[in-house]
Amino acid sequence: MSLDSAKADRITAVVLFALGLAMLVGGYTMDRLEIRQIHPASIPGLLPMILGATMMLCAALLFVGAARRARAEAVEPAPTEGGESWGRMAATAGLSAVYALVLVGWLPFFVATALYVGLFILIFTWPGSGTSAGKVKIVVIALVFAVATAGAISALFRYGFLVRLP
Amino acid sequence: MEGLAALGTAFAGLASFGTIFNVAWATLLGIFVGSLPGLTATMGVALLTTLTYTLDRDTAILVLICMYVGAIYGGSRSAILLNIPGTPASAATSLDGYPLAQQGRAGYAMALATSGSVLGTLVGIILLVLLAPLLARAALSFGSFEFFWLAVFGIVISGQLTAETSPLKGYIAGLLGLMVAMIGSEGIHAHVRFNFDIQDLNGGIGLIPAMVGAFGFAEVLTVMWRAKAKLVAKREDQDRVLPRLSDLWKYKITIGRSGVIGTMIGIIPGVGEDIGAWASYAAARRRSRERKMFGKGSTEGLTAAETGNSAVVPGALIPALTLAVPGSAPAAVLIAALFIHGIRPGPMIMVEMPDFIYSVAIMLTFAMLAIGVFGLTLTRLFILILRVPREILMPIVFTLCVIGPYALTQRLFDVWVMVAFGFLGFVLRQMKYPMAPLVLGIILGSLLDKNLRRGLMLSDGDLTPFFTRPISAVFVVLIVATIAMSIPSVRAFVSRLFGGAGDRP
Repeated sequence: MSLDSAKADRITAVVLFALGLAMLVGGYTMDRLEIRQIHPASIPGLLPMILGATMMLCAALLFVGAARRARAEAVEPAPTEGGESWGRMAATAGLSAVYALVLVGWLPFFVATALYVGLFILIFTWPGSGTSAGKVKIVVIALVFAVATAGAISALFRYGFLVRLP
Repeated sequence: MEGLAALGTAFAGLASFGTIFNVAWATLLGIFVGSLPGLTATMGVALLTTLTYTLDRDTAILVLICMYVGAIYGGSRSAILLNIPGTPASAATSLDGYPLAQQGRAGYAMALATSGSVLGTLVGIILLVLLAPLLARAALSFGSFEFFWLAVFGIVISGQLTAETSPLKGYIAGLLGLMVAMIGSEGIHAHVRFNFDIQDLNGGIGLIPAMVGAFGFAEVLTVMWRAKAKLVAKREDQDRVLPRLSDLWKYKITIGRSGVIGTMIGIIPGVGEDIGAWASYAAARRRSRERKMFGKGSTEGLTAAETGNSAVVPGALIPALTLAVPGSAPAAVLIAALFIHGIRPGPMIMVEMPDFIYSVAIMLTFAMLAIGVFGLTLTRLFILILRVPREILMPIVFTLCVIGPYALTQRLFDVWVMVAFGFLGFVLRQMKYPMAPLVLGIILGSLLDKNLRRGLMLSDGDLTPFFTRPISAVFVVLIVATIAMSIPSVRAFVSRLFGGAGDRP
């Protein structure tokens, strides 16, 4: 799967056009501060309107370019690199998002970080098949790095930079 | 003469054991960050900024500059040994560095990269000392109309030069950055725009959380998405880790030219080290007698690329210090760090802090010496660093991405901003949208907005001065020419007119 394709460009163009339109409308309907008798040329919505309109123009050009690109791709498909894994990326994204958005602030920082680092190492280095000694070794490595990383970073920020940790 | 005296004063002010210690650890950390694929110079400077807010002003700026110089240099290690540039700045380095490593000459390739980086930084420093005061003086005559066009020019040229496929995607990235900058309280009437009733958005989106997300979290995702890199193990007995002076002397013109090209590319807003390296590499190839060797292990090509990207660093600081317009993405973070530490970059810098530019030149010199010493003596250590598994490194990096922005403001909202920009950065990069114009847009949004409206107030709503004042008119011509050159038919016409399209990398 590639996100750099004519189809992706077409979808992006529609999203960007909507974004530009929203900014144009947002800028136009923004408070013009008449009650404060400001100069009409200095209304806060001026640049947002210009940016919105410019984005709509660029999105339209992207859409037109995507049609041309689709014709070119039909003749010669775009080359793809090898070895990428969307599963690995999704697991990283999910685990990291849960850590940053849920665990931090809910659990003490040390515990949240130790959990995240330990799980990360376990998930990505766990041998599908292998001896139980090998598996124990991975668990020990994950545990050591989890505690060491969480301890070192917590201590650095708490005592070195006097930050009240989340 | 006045400049030399100022340099001497700056050196005397900074020379101490503490400075040497700080230069050593920060540069080493920078090389470490740069050499690991997935850790970029921008990310390093952004993360380190979050750790420097308790330091005094000069120490903080010193360690950030050392990180910046070290990281740009460090990228060459993985470019040579893994064929993966540690930072985008070293993409051109891998073209000849990796073939040299495959021939068993990795040590010599790294020695040449070190020499090129040191000499490139030196050329950049000399030009910084010569040009920055002149630019600051010239910028004093800039009014609102000129600053408005400068911001537009920055976005357009950055979008044009950094886009991988189509300049349109560069412009769109710049527009997205400007749109992000529209969030929060504006600078003329303090009216809050687009906060969607979220109080945390009243102050706008912080540059540091956004940068840590776009360059830190997005890189973590990219590294885990990619296939694992393989280290070149081959090493010949006659390989050496010190450069031959005869080789350096042979390439003196290439080094000088690449240094000047790199610095000039650095001065152009938001373009950055990768373009500096490519432009130097292309110029060297065009004029080289061993042109056929380029891409197959040319020592001249490697030297040109490394000299070019390192020279961009001092070059990028010239507009950052004198106009508050960054020449590269790490320089954008550096501007934010300068504000955090009470320094106001811009045309007034030579009036308010006339010695500061010279202090920066001395800091760059210390960093340059440090990369020279570390680069030539710690070759084997850096090979060991490249063996650190990504499965252990990446969660540590992400933990720093979370706690770093939080430490600056002590609010979880900035962690959420970091995560959002991480996902946005990853998706945009996958779709070949460059990140530099996005960053430039975020930092230039306020400058563009304030100067457009201030200019219109001064002219009572009349647009004429935006086009008729001499400097404004020059900017308008440059902007129109840049946009016109991004249209293929216009570019083809101009190429025909001047007889050939030139030699593009």
